[in-house]
Amino acid sequence: METFSLLLQGFEVALQPINLFWALVGSVLGTAIGILPGIGPALTIALLLPVTISVAPTSAFIMFAGVLYGAMYGGSTTSILINTPGEAGSMMTALEGNKMARAGRGASALATAAIGSFVAGTIATLALTFAAPAIAEIAFYFRPADYFALTVLAFTSMAVVMGTSRVRGFISLFLGLALGLIGIDQMTGQARLTFGVPGLFDGMELAVVLVSLFAVGEILYVASRYRKNSSEIIPIRGQIWMSREDWKRSWKPWLRGASLGFPIGALPGGGSEIPTMLSYTLERKLTKHPEEFGKGAIEGVAGPEAANNAAAAGILIPLLTLGLPTSATAAVLLAAFQNYGLQPGPFLFSSNPQLVWGLIASLYVGNAMLLVLNLPLVGIWVRLLSIPAPQLYGGILVFATIGIWGVANSLVDVIAMVIIGVAGYVMRVYDFPIAPVLIGLILGPMAEQQLRTALAAGQGNPIMLVSTPLSVIFLTIAALFLLAPLLLRRLRANA
Amino acid sequence: MPSNWPQSDTAGGGAAAPRPWWLGGLVIALGCVCLYGAFSLPQAARYAGVGPGLFVTLVGSGLVLLGLLLLMQIARGEKFVPQDTEDASGSDKADMTAFLTALAAAIVPVLTIEALGVPFTAMLSFTLVARAFGSRKTVIDLITGAILGSLAWLLFTQLGLQIGSFLPLAGI
Amino acid sequence: MNLKTALLPLAMFAALATGTAQAQVNLMLPANPGGGWDSTGRQAFQAMNEAGIYTGGVNFTNKGGAGGTIGLAEFQGSQSGKPDALAVFGAITVGSIILNNSPIDLSQFRPIARLTAEYLVIAVSADSPHQSLQDLVEAVKADPGANAVGGGSAGGVDHIALALLAQAADIPVADLNYIPQASGAETVTGIVNGTLAAGISGISEFQQFAEQGRIRILGITSAERKAGLDVPTFKEAGYDVDIANWRGFLGAPGMPEDNYQTWVDRFTQMNGSEPWQKVLETQGWDQFFLSGEEFGTFIKEENERIGAILKEAGLAK
Repeated sequence: METFSLLLQGFEVALQPINLFWALVGSVLGTAIGILPGIGPALTIALLLPVTISVAPTSAFIMFAGVLYGAMYGGSTTSILINTPGEAGSMMTALEGNKMARAGRGASALATAAIGSFVAGTIATLALTFAAPAIAEIAFYFRPADYFALTVLAFTSMAVVMGTSRVRGFISLFLGLALGLIGIDQMTGQARLTFGVPGLFDGMELAVVLVSLFAVGEILYVASRYRKNSSEIIPIRGQIWMSREDWKRSWKPWLRGASLGFPIGALPGGGSEIPTMLSYTLERKLTKHPEEFGKGAIEGVAGPEAANNAAAAGILIPLLTLGLPTSATAAVLLAAFQNYGLQPGPFLFSSNPQLVWGLIASLYVGNAMLLVLNLPLVGIWVRLLSIPAPQLYGGILVFATIGIWGVANSLVDVIAMVIIGVAGYVMRVYDFPIAPVLIGLILGPMAEQQLRTALAAGQGNPIMLVSTPLSVIFLTIAALFLLAPLLLRRLRANA
Repeated sequence: MPSNWPQSDTAGGGAAAPRPWWLGGLVIALGCVCLYGAFSLPQAARYAGVGPGLFVTLVGSGLVLLGLLLLMQIARGEKFVPQDTEDASGSDKADMTAFLTALAAAIVPVLTIEALGVPFTAMLSFTLVARAFGSRKTVIDLITGAILGSLAWLLFTQLGLQIGSFLPLAGI
Repeated sequence: MNLKTALLPLAMFAALATGTAQAQVNLMLPANPGGGWDSTGRQAFQAMNEAGIYTGGVNFTNKGGAGGTIGLAEFQGSQSGKPDALAVFGAITVGSIILNNSPIDLSQFRPIARLTAEYLVIAVSADSPHQSLQDLVEAVKADPGANAVGGGSAGGVDHIALALLAQAADIPVADLNYIPQASGAETVTGIVNGTLAAGISGISEFQQFAEQGRIRILGITSAERKAGLDVPTFKEAGYDVDIANWRGFLGAPGMPEDNYQTWVDRFTQMNGSEPWQKVLETQGWDQFFLSGEEFGTFIKEENERIGAILKEAGLAK
């Protein structure tokens, strides 16, 4: 019960008008920057770090909590409405969410994203409140072999749900893997596939590939096939609010997404990519409406959005309880703590309970505030889709370009935007799936690094890769993913 | 709420070239680029066994293999059905003028974003995309693009993002 | 809540809206967030701000990997000739450039100031059988492959320090099983869960985990014991190794002369300021100041020294 009374004190802090104001400022700023593709919460908070000079720590962290969640809401909004995910975490949202929006169900998609984020954020914050120290230990438990097995699981689960043709699905995946290899090798410092272009030493920026494939490829494709004289219109079908059916189909993915996102978010390097991907494939496997997937299934929005939001809370656990920053966002927050001369870790809970519990309470408050801000805005956001196509697509290209340029001010990135955009066009014309490219790009380097670390630690003995219970479990699930359909078919054939 | 999205038909036709050999060739070529890059890298390492070059070799070989498979599929007459999106159905014939106009819009930033800044680039790109989508109100589009680019520049610069100065050539 | 506190956020918001637009200092932090370079860069500007030396906004960019060469390559590519573009770098960068045949040439950058030195410590898991540095070194000597040591990127100061330790203990350096980790967080978790037999890193990245009782620090690379840390030096343990991980600031290649002088002056001023002293104290860094062209000379010498060590250790051709 002590935790509970501490949490109540935290709410007293977070609900002070001045702190509510800061939460509002953070949410608005976070959403504003989050709608720009490629600019995520870490950069946003880093940009706001100077604020720590003149604001009390509690207020600053409450604002940062608002920024963290606001940036994610902004990201999912652009994914759903204009098929332009800016961050890896909202990539999966775009797959189904944009299809829903195009089918006139954008409001339902935005609503399930907002409410799902709220639900997942609340669950994750509750877990943070009551189980943080235990969950933090996961960070120490995971070994390279476990990470490697986790990436294998993510790969195979995606391979199963890949597009119509296996060959083309794997070509997409391998193109992503090849893109991921570009740059200086982390383990030995040797340049790979850079062909002497210094702008490539730091590798392909994920945001650039993401925005180019989705937004630029889409613009080129639609432009080449757009029927200019068409006067048919799509009415906004269904209700603005989620229907009873939508609720029924959303709540389980929310819970499953939250339970995937939270623990994986707490891992060093775990991030939001793996849980959102796993959530998407899980929902695709479990759904009762498999025919809707690829055409706008609400589960495919609800699950990944919940996972994304829960992962964001997950990263705070090792940071607050151990002082261990496991992601870029966490590291920026760590810097903010240090600016106040505070060292996050077990001692902070006893030395500065007001701050810690105020921050935790402000996560609840920030989540609620974003829900209140976003739900009424849903109606306004979907109006974006009634902008005439020429101007809408023009605007999308402008925002995509600014986002890519803003990442690093690098012309190489802008050139890459054109090339990868054309690739995105070709892939659409010849029906290659887009998502495997990004999965290869995101998970390939992680899989390679963890594999090499595991093997080096085990002196090259491949048994190392199955030496831990978790790695065996992950690899077994991965094998089941691949083999289950075959086995089922055989069983049915025998029966 | 009124909206003027054209309705799509869901049936996809086979508008793509029947035998796109070049696709398989392109995949094989990309694989060869990887293999060439892997050539100069050590494949093995002392304790890990896996050196920096091994993954590059594997990915390159994979691409070559997949390219060959794709060629075989094409030889067998594999159909490539363009993906349907809501505003464009695969059955429509590709409009190359529109495609090239949109491509030009994407190329514009390469030439102008550094020297002429975000708002100017936005103006040109916006107008070209609008034109590709059939808008012929060029002056209005130019003005809209300039306003959109300037507002976006103002907003994101104020938020602390570095996207260059307003009009670098004029030194603003 | 009085009127003043009510107005503060409004004022802050206004200041944010107007202030950041003109202040476009770009600071490249070529390491993953949370590490030593990251805090050096952020703390230095924080101190400058508190001391009123430079109070404008700063854009921090984190770009980790390969001893800073990835970040510096990007920095060189995107910021050359910009008036107020700075990068944090250090001893690690020097070694990585040599080892990786990186095309980056440190002499092309403008040497602004060397600020700190952090000494390295070697640590094992709290439940490791090794109680002293000698225990660990003997174990590594007996079976170098089975005792993987983690740390920063290949050829970095961590790696060099370990190579020097091995040399001093007559262990063939090429036999070491050194595994570069992407971040300090991964080194710590690797030590604790037993993936790594030991880890080597800066004090700041290990100290609090030692206080939490998760890892045990066995030795430090400083010449003398550090106050407040009951750990023997490598020399005390019988290995003649003395190395520091120094950190400093570079200006972008082609930074205009006026801006360059301004920054050298600003860092010199900051070095003597009260807030910076406080930072050094809380972060456990030792002051190691040198500025301007003298620093440039130091970088050149360090380049030769580290190059020689790497060659001797068989790490570079």
